[in-house]
Amino acid sequence: MLKIHKINKSFGGIKATNNVSIELKPHSINALIGPNGAGKTTIFNLITGKISVDEGNIFIGDNNITNLKETEITHIGIARAFQITNIFPTLSVKESIKIALLAKIHGLNNMWDRFSSHSVNEEASKIAELTGLTKVYNTISSELSHGDQKLLDIALALALKPKVLLLDEPTAGMGPEERWEMIKRIKELWQKTKMTVLFIEHDMDIVFDIAQTIFVLQQGSIIAKGTPKEIKKNQVVIKAYLGGGKK
Amino acid sequence: MKFFKRDNFKRDAFIGLVVWIFLLIFFFIVPSPGIHDIIQKVFILGLFAMSLNILIGYLGLVAFGHAAFFAAGAYTLGLFLQSSAIVSLGSLSIPAAIISAIFISTVLAAFIGAICIRLKDIYFSFLTLAFQMLIYSIILALVDITGGDQGLMGGFPKPPFLGINLGKPFDFYAFTIFISIITIVLLRQLIESPFGYGLRMIRDNPERPAALGFNNQRHKLIAFIIAGSIAGLAGSLQALLDVGAYPEWAFWAKSAEPLFMILLGGMHSFLGPLMGALIFEILNDFVTANTRYYGLVLGLVILSFVLGLRRGLLDWLLIKFYRK
Repeated sequence: MLKIHKINKSFGGIKATNNVSIELKPHSINALIGPNGAGKTTIFNLITGKISVDEGNIFIGDNNITNLKETEITHIGIARAFQITNIFPTLSVKESIKIALLAKIHGLNNMWDRFSSHSVNEEASKIAELTGLTKVYNTISSELSHGDQKLLDIALALALKPKVLLLDEPTAGMGPEERWEMIKRIKELWQKTKMTVLFIEHDMDIVFDIAQTIFVLQQGSIIAKGTPKEIKKNQVVIKAYLGGGKK
Repeated sequence: MKFFKRDNFKRDAFIGLVVWIFLLIFFFIVPSPGIHDIIQKVFILGLFAMSLNILIGYLGLVAFGHAAFFAAGAYTLGLFLQSSAIVSLGSLSIPAAIISAIFISTVLAAFIGAICIRLKDIYFSFLTLAFQMLIYSIILALVDITGGDQGLMGGFPKPPFLGINLGKPFDFYAFTIFISIITIVLLRQLIESPFGYGLRMIRDNPERPAALGFNNQRHKLIAFIIAGSIAGLAGSLQALLDVGAYPEWAFWAKSAEPLFMILLGGMHSFLGPLMGALIFEILNDFVTANTRYYGLVLGLVILSFVLGLRRGLLDWLLIKFYRK
């Protein structure tokens, strides 16, 4: 579904990504892990076109999306939720989801209909239901709890009906209980929508619990990939990331 | 009552019609030319302020050079009606002059907007101001055409059209308010449409829309052009009222006026700038009649709003009595 082939990106003299190759199977859920500064978010930025690729190619299906505009890549089928929640503070949950739905179909150029009575209302409520935001559907986004803001960020991405969903630390800033609730929700979402998911996460218990394939990144390079079982046993990963002595 | 609860264009148009009829009746109930004059000016300046509020209140862009479009509309209308075009157009001169004023302001806004919207924050604000001062300088320099620092002198004819004679106070009053209300109803439609919510989205978070596949720049440019064209319409109505056009209308201080109105009335309620125009005009008329320290009084009023209410009057009233 998503294929990243030997991409390189440097900032000044620092190599942020070094010959990174990742291939995601359709309808799979995958994790990208690595210590801080390993280049995980940079890879997301390269995939979504937020920053340009120096070398290498990125494909979604047969489409080469390397260095296309961020808006074009979104329309081809990649959506993203951010590490720091990236929502619309003065708009309600309902309005925010509707806006994302309309952005997908170029409906925001419409000056003749009323936003309040637009036909995407039903679809918006379905997405709210899917993400568990029904109870706060009419709440202003800035008044939501941190967890609900994170869910709204994901709901905005889901509204784009992506082929590939990128989640950048979906549980960042959450307490233990909230984290597991979020993960349960993400797992449900993936099972229901069957889209391809790639997520960044620091909590290894979470990663091993839900990821089918794990990619381990260190200093801009992929040092290992495999199933949770394989990664747990991988000596390179154990040494470099999980902490040498543990078995 | 259901009709009034439903948020749609028909309801707004109906309310607009009722307000217009009420103001026509008011003209005869209160036969004071001074009051009529204030009402006309409130609508004209209200249009000017509401057009600027598309950028400030809904898009989050503070434009300092909005008067450029107001002046462009005023001068276009004045020059059109002073030209020989009116001989051939006859009774269609006034509508044609207004349409020309809107057209020229729109073209000017498209040109200035295409350059300015690439910038953000204070850079955007000052570039719009720079363009305005350029227009001001051009008006002063082209003495043969614009009358330079004296303005467009000698007046211009107002040929009657469709039975409307703008030389008559009632006709002018009814016409100005009618055009203003139509524009306000259309503007309301724009603001409450998906397009209007696109503006709010950019204001709230200019980075996220690209990740939703949305082109901010195009949306911002269209909003800038619409704001410029409405300011041009307001300028043309002001020129019709004053039977002239003056370079001060393109000076930076003129751009501060709608900004004050927005601050006074409120930028988060649709009619806030119109209420601001009302407060501004009342202050202008009554304070200048009693003291020459108009600026001081205006400054104190704005300070009291900003420090006391922390928002414009209509915003404050709506929060206090209507919203949560």
